[in-house]
Amino acid sequence: MRELKNMLTLFMPEAPPFWRPLVDVYRTRDGWLLKFDLAGVRLDDVTVSLRGNRVSVSGNRRDTVIEEGASYYSMEISYSRFERTVEMPVTLENARMTLEARDGILLVRMVMEGNSNVR
Amino acid sequence: MSDKTTIQTLPVLPLKNTVLFPYLLMPLSVGRPTSLSAVEAALATEEKEIVLFAQRDASVETPKQDDLYTIGTKAIIRKMSRPNENMVELLVLGMERVTLVKLDDSGAYLQARFRPFPLPEDNTAEVEALHGALTELATTAIQLAQPNAPQEMTRLLAANEDPLRLAFVLASMFGLDLDKEQSVLESDSRAQALRLMHTFLTHEIQVLELKNKINTEARTEMNKEQRDYLLRQQMRAIQQELGEKGGEQAESDQLRERLEKAELPEDIKKEAERELSRFEKLPPGAPDYNVIRTYLEYVLELPWNKSSEASLDIAHAREVLDEDHFGLKEVKQRILEHLGVLKLNPKANAPILCFVGPPGVGKTSLGQSIARSLNRKFERMSLGGLHDEAELRGHRRTYIGAMPGRVIQAMRRAGVNNPVLMLDEVDKLGRDFRGDPAHALLEILDPAQNKTFRDNYLDLPFDLSKVLFVTTANALDTIPQPLLDRMEVLRLSGYSEEEKMKIAHRYLIPRQLKEAGLTEEQCSIPNDALRHLISGYTREAGLRRLERAIGRVVRKVALRFAEGDTTPVVVRPDDLAEMMGPEIFNQETMRRDVPPGVATGLAWTESGGDVLYIEGTLLPDGKGMTLTGQLGEVMQESAKAAQSYIWSHAEDFGIDPALFKSTGVHIHVPAGAIPKDGPSAGVTMATALTSLYTKLPARNDTAMTGEITLTGLVLPIGGIKEKALAARRAGINRIVMPRANQKDLRELPEEVRKEMEFIFADRVEDVLIATIPKLSERLALLHRRPLDTAA
Repeated sequence: MRELKNMLTLFMPEAPPFWRPLVDVYRTRDGWLLKFDLAGVRLDDVTVSLRGNRVSVSGNRRDTVIEEGASYYSMEISYSRFERTVEMPVTLENARMTLEARDGILLVRMVMEGNSNVR
Repeated sequence: MSDKTTIQTLPVLPLKNTVLFPYLLMPLSVGRPTSLSAVEAALATEEKEIVLFAQRDASVETPKQDDLYTIGTKAIIRKMSRPNENMVELLVLGMERVTLVKLDDSGAYLQARFRPFPLPEDNTAEVEALHGALTELATTAIQLAQPNAPQEMTRLLAANEDPLRLAFVLASMFGLDLDKEQSVLESDSRAQALRLMHTFLTHEIQVLELKNKINTEARTEMNKEQRDYLLRQQMRAIQQELGEKGGEQAESDQLRERLEKAELPEDIKKEAERELSRFEKLPPGAPDYNVIRTYLEYVLELPWNKSSEASLDIAHAREVLDEDHFGLKEVKQRILEHLGVLKLNPKANAPILCFVGPPGVGKTSLGQSIARSLNRKFERMSLGGLHDEAELRGHRRTYIGAMPGRVIQAMRRAGVNNPVLMLDEVDKLGRDFRGDPAHALLEILDPAQNKTFRDNYLDLPFDLSKVLFVTTANALDTIPQPLLDRMEVLRLSGYSEEEKMKIAHRYLIPRQLKEAGLTEEQCSIPNDALRHLISGYTREAGLRRLERAIGRVVRKVALRFAEGDTTPVVVRPDDLAEMMGPEIFNQETMRRDVPPGVATGLAWTESGGDVLYIEGTLLPDGKGMTLTGQLGEVMQESAKAAQSYIWSHAEDFGIDPALFKSTGVHIHVPAGAIPKDGPSAGVTMATALTSLYTKLPARNDTAMTGEITLTGLVLPIGGIKEKALAARRAGINRIVMPRANQKDLRELPEEVRKEMEFIFADRVEDVLIATIPKLSERLALLHRRPLDTAA
């Protein structure tokens, strides 16, 4: 019987085909804290945008360790474009956002201003 | 993303037999040196980008520009590993569709100059419709291709909002041909790609459906055989694991080995070998396989030539017979004779004995002790109620579940060809549309034929001539004449009270005591109590009821011991009423007052003998003779003969002949419910009628038996022993019997003979002289006959 080939192709409902960094979401006293696993990505190469209740992080991880005479023996880290969109339970229209890169982790902190509707 | 005009240059990975679609991940194995170099070059960049074009012909090792499709995919290498030195495994992610501008094959690896070829973005109603249709089609196809596919799979498919991506996923999932995949990749519009996929998938579904149909059909057909085959395969594996030989191979080997070891007669062996070679050729699944195996096993197990070492020690045999059974001299003698013959001629045919007697006289157990005395095996089968000839002679092997007949089965159980084979209850054979088993018995019991007895199942001649057949019956009249003719009839008549007492002391009481866990010291039943038990609580020729009665007494005593009273018990006759309840049988004791017209007769029954009173009464102004009491034809005729004789000799007896004309007579024989027949009541009828007409009473202490003729002769009858014992039980000690039966008195136990008075009669007058005292003088004078008695 013909096997269904390439089950792998199925595991990515999110378009376009970029790699997806892992993310932890914290609830803080005054808003939210998102922690993206983005080791080896320069803060300059990251774009963070808010729209409605979505936070999108996209960018590019470049392989900076390219040395003369060195060649890959194996590669597991995903390079090039990445994109990750996180859907929050509240609208983020009034949020004030700060970014911080700490030890390969990108922290996106959002403080809800004024009439916060965090529940 | 790069815009339409930008031309980029990247290393090229030529693909064989497959296409990488944008948005999709695909694992790849790379082995060609040029491709390995291309991969390394790509990995050495920050972006890890590479471009993939499919080869038009997979067999080309070093493709040029013309060997590649011009539409390909730019990709990013996501992961890379080296399973071995000359091989790289990649996981690549398709990024965008590109079109080849120029292939540079001058370097260590192929390099391509290419331009983006953006995917179409038309969004017509047709696209929407095709999108929906394709999703449905995909669900069907997945279920057909992989019925066990997780639900998520179809859900994920449906979640593809981009119709093009759905087309790509499906194309790569179903592993379409390269040119089909390529045409999907090259589509100018979404609608075109979707249409293509729709066509492909429809075709794919048809193929899958057909395949499934074929599979299901094949599966249902094969299921049973497949299962059998698998199980057998497993069995073989287990046997091999155990160090045994493969199933049927071992089986036929085993049979062959047994066949060689078995001592079979030459012709039987030939037949068995023929069957065995047939067996070896059969596959174990064949329907005949088990049939032949069972058959062969049967043939091999039968004792064709095996005999038990017959003991020829006559003294020992006599000892054993006497030990087990009291009396029965005739039977024992016959057994010893057979032993004697065997001693002189070991090839002698065994006799076929038939024990006839009432229930409980020890017919069956006698068979056992015969076997013991001869040191033979004993096998017993009951023929009572058997009504199918095939039970005896077997079914032919062509029938399902065919088995050999009981005779052959008994031989197999015995394991020797000279057992004592007891056929119980031959008089109770049934018969119906399936044939008459008695006729099958004719062959089995005929010493001239049973040397080559052919069972339907075996279909081989088996020698039964060494078997000592013993049959038992309660009565001979239901045994067909030809069958009876083949057997030596030995009568075991009932036991007298003395014999019963001896047997009780010797066998029954010790056995019942043992059963109840008592010792002889704890419980004893002296003669007087035993006598009371025999006469008051049992009335039978055999011993079964007596044994039960003894058992009951013993159990009562046992209960007393169990309750703690340990004084030994001697059972007294008076205790019996308390232990057993009131007497069950009032002895058919002799009647005290016998009016004229009543005479005492004797009858033989299957359970021994009985005393009968024949009662007559005159019917003034009546006519003819009325006979009641369930009398058979022979008995009625003897009543008429008796009357005619008396009528014709009325003067001699001092009877007015006119009486016969003017009055009727009624004769009744109680008990009215029991059918009676036979000629032996003739003299009794004559006595009753004479007493009736002369108004002189007959003696009440005298019983009589014998057939009469119209000329007044008294003819011999059978069953003297039982009749004498019955008379004695009833307290009658004087018996008139035909002179010709004088010889039968030898059968009677000594003490009975001593106690009783027998009068032998030649003519009716002799009987009347002995029975009607007031007539005796007149008759004695008339006939000048002395009274002849034996004492």
